[in-house]
Amino acid sequence: MATAGMRRGGTALTLVGLAGLVFVYWMSFFWVSTEINQGVVQRIFYVHVPAAWTSFMAFGFSALASAMYLWLRDDRLDRAALCAAEGGLVFGTIVLTTGPLWGKIAWGTYWTWEPRLTLTLLLWFIFVGYFMVRNSTEDPEKGKRFAAVVAIIGALDIPFIHMSVIWFRSLHPEPVVAKPDGPSLPADMLTTLLTSLAVFTVIFLGLFLYRYALEGLRAEADLRSRSTAT
Amino acid sequence: MILFRNRVWVARTVLACALFLLATAAVGAQEIQGLPRPTALASQSLRPYWHVFAAYAIVITLIGGWAISIGRRLRDLEDRLR
Repeated sequence: MATAGMRRGGTALTLVGLAGLVFVYWMSFFWVSTEINQGVVQRIFYVHVPAAWTSFMAFGFSALASAMYLWLRDDRLDRAALCAAEGGLVFGTIVLTTGPLWGKIAWGTYWTWEPRLTLTLLLWFIFVGYFMVRNSTEDPEKGKRFAAVVAIIGALDIPFIHMSVIWFRSLHPEPVVAKPDGPSLPADMLTTLLTSLAVFTVIFLGLFLYRYALEGLRAEADLRSRSTAT
Repeated sequence: MILFRNRVWVARTVLACALFLLATAAVGAQEIQGLPRPTALASQSLRPYWHVFAAYAIVITLIGGWAISIGRRLRDLEDRLR
């Protein structure tokens, strides 16, 4: 019953999020002003930054749930960590593909080994490793524990990614929103960005619930197959 | 006399035309300096638009792909449970 509720809730949230995404696309193409230096390519900002925020949130949540799983050994926490890690990987892939498309026009190159790009790619690979470690042991419980440790280590990379543009010489600009003296973006750009952030978060939450319903059903199927075997 | 008058008239006309052309060329040359150089014009293309469209398409594809993938796995599992 809980699984069915989550599935319905997840579907509803995802549909709301997708409608919001259409609105964000409209804002980005027809409402917000064009940035004076970079021109039209700066519009990638309105999907690139929210995708980065969502992936960091997902990976952070995965690490938190993993830490709690190691402490409480509750399978629901492990399932939540798994679902969040999958979402983080999807949104992380968006970051790592839309960024180079922007970089080619703005910097003249698709990729450069500057700190923020390198650390983001490292984070993505750590969470690919999360799934590999999880499925590499014969004992599923051991796999879950190892994967939980990988998720915690991976999440330690997130503050470094945020601070890398301040600590190191970087092609990325310094933060324009999350900074001590407040955002320095024009009002229409900030509105579009915040709307997009909200929409990406809603989409992630919707798909997370939908994915969690799948894991709940899988646990139910495992339980049934085990009780049939005994 | 008429021939002389005609020569003067022609000379004045040629001089006026030459001055007009010179002035136009001078003004034109001054104006051209403010225009983008030919290489800059050549570098302006639709490429940034394609990059924006590609980025926005990637977002839809990956989010849609994840949603469809979850839906398929759910359906397969439900079929197995029935």
